[in-house]
Amino acid sequence: MFEEFYTIAQSINNEYIVKAKEHGALCIGYTCSYFPEEILHALGIIPYRVKGLNVSSLSVADAAFGPFICSHPKCLLQHFADGDYSFLDGIIVTPGCDSMRRIDECIRKTAVNFNLPVVPPFFFHYTVPHKITEYSVKWLVDELQRFIDSVTKHFSLLFSYEKLKESIAFYNRMRKRLEELNALRMHYPARIAGADAFAVFVAGLSMPRDRFYSMLESLLSKYNGADFENRRRLMLIGSANDDIDFIKTIESQTAVVVADTLCYGPRLDIDYVDEEDEPLHALALRYLNHSHCPRMYGGYKQRLEKVVGAIHKAQVEGVVLQNIRFCDLHGAENGLLERDLEKMGIPCLRLEREYGPMADYERMRMRIDAFIERLDVRRIVNTRS
Amino acid sequence: MRQALKQYNFDWMLWRTYEAGSRLLSGTKREYDIALRYIPYFRDPVKEVFKAKAGQLFLQMTATYLDNIVNAHHRGKKTCMTTFCFSPAILYALDIVPVTLELLTVMMTFLYKRGTGEFLDYCNEAGFTETSCSSQRGSMGALLADIGTPIDMVVTDSPGVCDTNANAFAFFAAYKDIPFFQLNMPPWLVEERVTQYHVQDYKALIAFLEEHSGKRLDNDRLREILRELQKQDELINELEQYLCYKPLPLPVTTCLFIYAGRFMFAGMPIYTRLLEMLVNEGRENVKLHQQGIYTSKEKSRGFFCYIDHYTHSLRLWQMLEELNIGYSGNILSHFWDDSNPPVVHNNWKEAAYSIKTQTLEDMLTSIAAINSRMPMIKSIRGPYDSPYMWLQDTLALASMYKSDFIVYNGTPGCRNTWGMVKLLAQDTEKAGFPTHIMYADAFDDRVQSWDATRDRFEEFLRIRRLI
Repeated sequence: MFEEFYTIAQSINNEYIVKAKEHGALCIGYTCSYFPEEILHALGIIPYRVKGLNVSSLSVADAAFGPFICSHPKCLLQHFADGDYSFLDGIIVTPGCDSMRRIDECIRKTAVNFNLPVVPPFFFHYTVPHKITEYSVKWLVDELQRFIDSVTKHFSLLFSYEKLKESIAFYNRMRKRLEELNALRMHYPARIAGADAFAVFVAGLSMPRDRFYSMLESLLSKYNGADFENRRRLMLIGSANDDIDFIKTIESQTAVVVADTLCYGPRLDIDYVDEEDEPLHALALRYLNHSHCPRMYGGYKQRLEKVVGAIHKAQVEGVVLQNIRFCDLHGAENGLLERDLEKMGIPCLRLEREYGPMADYERMRMRIDAFIERLDVRRIVNTRS
Repeated sequence: MRQALKQYNFDWMLWRTYEAGSRLLSGTKREYDIALRYIPYFRDPVKEVFKAKAGQLFLQMTATYLDNIVNAHHRGKKTCMTTFCFSPAILYALDIVPVTLELLTVMMTFLYKRGTGEFLDYCNEAGFTETSCSSQRGSMGALLADIGTPIDMVVTDSPGVCDTNANAFAFFAAYKDIPFFQLNMPPWLVEERVTQYHVQDYKALIAFLEEHSGKRLDNDRLREILRELQKQDELINELEQYLCYKPLPLPVTTCLFIYAGRFMFAGMPIYTRLLEMLVNEGRENVKLHQQGIYTSKEKSRGFFCYIDHYTHSLRLWQMLEELNIGYSGNILSHFWDDSNPPVVHNNWKEAAYSIKTQTLEDMLTSIAAINSRMPMIKSIRGPYDSPYMWLQDTLALASMYKSDFIVYNGTPGCRNTWGMVKLLAQDTEKAGFPTHIMYADAFDDRVQSWDATRDRFEEFLRIRRLI
């Protein structure tokens, strides 16, 4: 039932994009969850959240990026250099964090220095403030307008607010369906494996959205649920992850990931865009307010509150706090979360890892097993008392 | 952390040490020589600093900065933790004491052979990442461990410029549960929308500072500080001209004094005095140079396109002297006012700031512009090859100073520059500047020993036939 989602989620290109492009559709990649896909959808462009999966070498990425950079953007760059993203007609780079921001120069300069055709025809540096104020929302509204002007000019497209409103409504409907899917894994006992749910979420970022919506509806209408009664219920927090094998490693036969705050996942709340508001303002508000990312400095308390809320709602037994090495934003926030959650009696496991091929699979497996044992003991103690 | 380190507050220790150091030249030459015998770990940095005529004042200024921090609460003032690339002028205008993490880290690494190692490690114990920038971690560890003056509020302006930096301040504020404010920087500089954003953000900052200090911004005080800043800019601009001379008519530490002083006391008279001393020394030496009397053995000249190396005893500067390498400036010693030589020479007025003090709005626009042109804030906020960004600044300054080569030195925690420095180096090489990337940590010798750093640097100089 999930096979197709897995196929799409675990590959870079897929048949739906190939077919759509054969019919003349445009496809634009983006690097950060702060970009509102609704705008691309309204223009008939396929939004594509770029992934770093299945890279087998970092030869070009290591040459462009320095050695102290998170392996996720390095893998993205390598894909560009290898021509794996040649199906993209454009790329939107967001200063989500320092490493991801520098992919701008690395893509452009790799094209020049290595003489590789890696730069998509449309290239946009999309700026998102790090805080929520009246003037930062205004900045983002202007930035969205700048994007619309730029993309419509580049591809000679016509933009209409009516279409944008329709896209906003469509995305809200899709969010409703994703919420239903999310409820299955938060259910006690979980009715879907975290890896399966994640495959659906990631696939939804990698294909034409209308097609994804119908696949999702079909899945929800036919899915009977599975039984994960005796598994420890985990929440997964931290650095961006599009790698389903990583979730599988955590779950194995003993656990199930019932909630997450991951960048490619639904994060904690599936917030809706206000359909009554002026569209760009509504999008700016939703995207600035929604994303559960430590790039929004000074927002730790709010994020902690949301995490605690999700822990209670999903009856989480333990929290895995992971960060990719050199991802200081999540790494540091994980330190705070560990302190505060442990104080509340919620067991935590902090993991630092590399992104990409599961180089440290056994090390991680061992630490997760030990954590599960800790949760088992806790369960026994709680039952006795 | 060892119990021994917790016996005295680290900032108090630094204050007493710098205070004592600043008095070393007050006695006779014989007393000075004898005193050096008793401070085996401190004599090298002291000797290095005193090579400049302004050295003693520089140490006095540092001691005053620390005195302000240590005694802030006794004097009824609030403390604000901030970063080197945030201009403290506004804090002085509101009578708030700046506690600049990077400055405290360097003050400690210069003096102590052990550097800030144990404070760096304490950050990890508190949950902060070991991969973050050591410039903040060095002193932040001590403050996390409560062995420093308590902090009342945190302000940073690096979001959008250096996330690792911003993250350290956000972490500290969340860890200690104290008020936090961030100024954001869009990735480009010259546009009305950006200027408006800077000003609106800055107004919100002032409201935050007023709220948490209980003080109101005094327009006259702000005007006075801005005028002092104007004076300081003029002095720096004169110094810049001297720093372009070959051989260099000023000590190699001049650039360090310029930026460290500005980070400590922007807009304050004590920094003006330091600059005046440097300018006087420059004027005298240039006069001698013009008369053919001034001599120097300068063999080659370097431009540091990022920061210096700050571990024990100012060894970077000692090495440069030993190798007869001239050192005029780096990216930290430029503040980009509209009469700064590279601005005038390249006609970059639109990217520079000007100081206007007639109305409050003028002053706020000016100070927001000053802040948004601080070192690092200006040059690495956007793609390095964009207008007025890192590459353009580096090439312009390296050319202006008649540099023979360029050096990048930073920290492994600097995600931002490490994300593009290899590309930058390729471009500076193409522009004709041999470029060396140091893999050391500017604040922590444990990452790469100074000996290894020096060996590699010398190897670069020899291979490229620069010495």
